[in-house]
Amino acid sequence: MPAFIETVLASIFWPAATIGLYLAARQLYRRWPKPWLSPLLVAPLLLIALALILKQSYAQYIHVTHWLVAMLGPATVAFAVPIYEQRATIRKYWPALAFGVVVGSATAMVTAWGLASLLSIDGALRLSLLPRSFSTPFAMTVSKDIGGVPDLTAIFVVVTGVIGAALGDVLMNVLPLQSAMARGALFGMGAHGAGVARASQIGREEGSIASLVMVLVGLVNVLFAPVLSILLR
Amino acid sequence: MTTRQFTIPFRRAMHVSAVLQIALLILIWQGGEAIVRLFNLPVPGAVVGMLFLLALLATGQLKVASLRSGAKWLLAEMLLFFIPAVLAILDHREFLGLLGLKVLAVILVGATTVMVVTALAVDVSYRLMIRFGERHARLH
Repeated sequence: MPAFIETVLASIFWPAATIGLYLAARQLYRRWPKPWLSPLLVAPLLLIALALILKQSYAQYIHVTHWLVAMLGPATVAFAVPIYEQRATIRKYWPALAFGVVVGSATAMVTAWGLASLLSIDGALRLSLLPRSFSTPFAMTVSKDIGGVPDLTAIFVVVTGVIGAALGDVLMNVLPLQSAMARGALFGMGAHGAGVARASQIGREEGSIASLVMVLVGLVNVLFAPVLSILLR
Repeated sequence: MTTRQFTIPFRRAMHVSAVLQIALLILIWQGGEAIVRLFNLPVPGAVVGMLFLLALLATGQLKVASLRSGAKWLLAEMLLFFIPAVLAILDHREFLGLLGLKVLAVILVGATTVMVVTALAVDVSYRLMIRFGERHARLH
């Protein structure tokens, strides 16, 4: 087969496989809404299996699917709409949100450092784990600032999002939460973008609060990173 | 004129407008990226774009209705856009063994703690604010 036809086929095959498996996983989740059947767990696992069978590398895969990831850009911009629609709630209860962001960020850093030390993970790997709760662009900035490896941080961020979004479903039902605001903050702080996507499926207010919390967490920590890098030295 | 004749062009226009709305969101995102590059900001371009769009909505330069369906579609399918990034694991086989399990444990226990603490902090302060608000209202 001529090489260019192979290239064309690959550039159709992987996006089609990604979208197809996502839609299938979403149907599956609608039928059986269990946390471990989340599309963000099932679809990537099937794709990884497929890539291993077809002996494809990540570089070959992402080369033809990066435009899907790029859609996170306009999706992030789109969050201005639900945030704007929730402006009355946000204006009224911003101290509760601000408190959650500060307490949550501190907990994220302390638990990552403490647990990593406990399991004898140290050096750059431990530092790369610290910003795992922030959305990717923020996390990579902070990771570089404090002496971690931004590429590793990006992976930890994605894994945190995948696990956090599934975990959030369980925790939301276990915890005695009275407000949609607390449910939104739970997803936005613990699972950033993936959590926001999940929260938006739960409810309008949950989704907009989650997106706001995610953005606030990123902003606060990028500003705080220089201080943190001095503390860690 | 039947209802069918009337609704089909209308629906088609709505469909076109959702696509146009997404195009506008992409344009704002690219604007944000350009600003970040120009001023070398440590903030993602999409966040700058989001803040810009918030400002447009708050000042009434843009109506929410003219973006709602496009925004709704993007946000509803957002999980899809995360999936390709997860495959980065393929390049890091070193995490397939014990190290991977350790990292997974850190992330799992860490995420649980963060979520529980954050949700309770927000919920408790929210309840306190409501209680304080009620007392405040009664005094007046």
